[in-house]
Amino acid sequence: MPDSILYWKGCMSRLRTKSISDSTMELFRRMGIRFETLGESEGCCGSVLLRTGQLEAAKKTAESTVDRISSAGFTEVVTSCPGCFRTMASEYPVILGGAPFRVRHVSQFLVERKSILKDRLGSVDLKACYHDPCHLGRHMGVYEEPRELIRMVPGLELFEMRDNRSKALCCGSGGGVRSAYPELSREVAKTAARDQVPAGVKLLVTACPFCNYNFKDACSGQIRVIDLPELLLSAWRADLNGER
Amino acid sequence: MGSDDWLTFKRDEFKRWMEDDRRRTGLSRAVAAYTSAKANALSRLPELEDMRREVRKIKEQSIQHMDELVKITMDSVREVKGEAYFARDAEEAREIVSGLVGSGKLVVKSKSLTGDEVGINEALEERENRVYETDLGEFIIQLRKEKPTHIINPSVHVPREEVAKTFSELLGKPVSPEIPALVGIARDYLREKFCNADVGITGANVVSAKTGTIFIVENEGNARFVSNAPPKHICLTGIEKIVPTLSDAFRLLQVLPPYATGVFMSAYVSMITGPSKTADIEKTIVYGAHGPKELHLVLLDNGRRSMADEEAFREALYCIRCGGCMYECPVYRVIGGAFGNNYFGGIGLIWSAFTTGDEKVAAAVDACTKCGRCKEVCPLEIDTPRMVERLKQRLVKKGFVQPKHEEIMKSILEKGNPFGEDERANRLSRG
Ligand code: SF4
Repeated sequence: MPDSILYWKGCMSRLRTKSISDSTMELFRRMGIRFETLGESEGCCGSVLLRTGQLEAAKKTAESTVDRISSAGFTEVVTSCPGCFRTMASEYPVILGGAPFRVRHVSQFLVERKSILKDRLGSVDLKACYHDPCHLGRHMGVYEEPRELIRMVPGLELFEMRDNRSKALCCGSGGGVRSAYPELSREVAKTAARDQVPAGVKLLVTACPFCNYNFKDACSGQIRVIDLPELLLSAWRADLNGER
Repeated sequence: MGSDDWLTFKRDEFKRWMEDDRRRTGLSRAVAAYTSAKANALSRLPELEDMRREVRKIKEQSIQHMDELVKITMDSVREVKGEAYFARDAEEAREIVSGLVGSGKLVVKSKSLTGDEVGINEALEERENRVYETDLGEFIIQLRKEKPTHIINPSVHVPREEVAKTFSELLGKPVSPEIPALVGIARDYLREKFCNADVGITGANVVSAKTGTIFIVENEGNARFVSNAPPKHICLTGIEKIVPTLSDAFRLLQVLPPYATGVFMSAYVSMITGPSKTADIEKTIVYGAHGPKELHLVLLDNGRRSMADEEAFREALYCIRCGGCMYECPVYRVIGGAFGNNYFGGIGLIWSAFTTGDEKVAAAVDACTKCGRCKEVCPLEIDTPRMVERLKQRLVKKGFVQPKHEEIMKSILEKGNPFGEDERANRLSRG
């Protein structure tokens, strides 16, 4: 415990986009990073509840989450999901008056350890572009860390979406929209992928399980979608070109 | 409305938009034209950066002193021989304006969101007045009996081919879908209406309190006709449009056009301070020379004071209605005019809720991803996503909850995840 970090998978990569959490854990292992998860008792950060106006339930959920994390003795939390990251790092202080642990997104955490990744990643021949998740970029100001990591993959040429960083287009799944109006979410993602990805780019790199899920669902056949830790692990395994 | 009607009618509206290629085409052409024009204007006007910050301060101050400014404005307008009225709500506004117009009159209008907000056209038509919208976009949707879908370009969803169809019906002969020709048709048709109208109704983009000056910004020149040709001019506008002085108004006027349409300055800015007058014969003042003899300013509250009173929503009143955040919104780009009620986009959710009630807009609030792009592109950096979250909290308390969201909430509280899944099978992983 305490000398390990807590890897907080978040509901989406714990239960829907499992390949993201599996890849993240495998990558951590290969990098020699000591981590634990909360497994079946991880629970919910409360982000979805905050976004859908259910403040009381959100507070209750957040309180018990802080409790679970800190009673297990963790002082460092790393999340896959920018929504969990934003909620814990910038909204717990407002609704709970803070939390007794440090929270970072996996991209921030990995970039600090990029020397471990160096020379490990296999070379590819790929044109990719990165999609800024709203919770990570606009809401938390994390723009460069994911790009830095993507650029570490030898032979990968990183392009930008037409609107990027603080002007990036939302994938359409946030804020409870995906559950209320799934068609609308898909349509937003489809439109963004169609209008924003430069010609010739065949791979869209996400850094958010929700964006990942939504783009995959909406753009199957249109573009290949991969999440950041999946990309890095694939490059390490040198099976990126073959991966589907 | 029945218990779920607030949801079902919006869901249908979203669906109609998503499946309507005609509308989607119109909208995406407009978005492309807008974004490139704005980018060009902003890159050539670096001074806007400071100016928009000043405008934010002006608006903050003005809203803080809104009631006082209303009083000053009304006094100033009266001092220059105009009439001024305060309307607490939509009904009062309709009564005042209908009273001023009377019945059996020919009325020309220039585009006014405030007019749409209070339902002025319907009220006037009920009294047997003939009402003509003269802004080209408004004219088109009036003929098509549709509702506006953008605050600057109300007919943004109607592509040229559809406009041609509408005009063919109006003239009873085939019309070709060439844009300049279509504009010509509207010009010829409306010219005679301007000259024979009994009353002209406009909105205002800004009002300066100290001088009682109404500012109307436009590109077509129709608002000039509307406010100048008929003998009676009625201006209906919201109390949040008032700023203290002329120089404050000029500041705002410089920020609006580049953000609204990507131009340095709009073709026409009309400044109106009192009715038309002359003293050319024996220095004796006579009202109604070439312009209107009567000027009536109707200042509308209709929810604006409640907005100002609530810290969480006050910022919405700073909006200068450039419309930029709508074109820039990924959700608006897909469902256009369905994303709101009488105002559109994220900011429009707040405005719709306060001016025309929660029921018609509650379901659209759940279409906002709170992505924050609107705040990023707003010249006043209005934190719309934060307000939408607050609005949503309020709506939930009033019972406007998406069944799906309620299900998720229960699942989170009971099972610790939003999917209703039993997780005991999950192993503990360790590295
Ligand atoms: S909220 Fe900002 S960007 Fe949107 S219409 Fe108002 S002033 Fe323009």
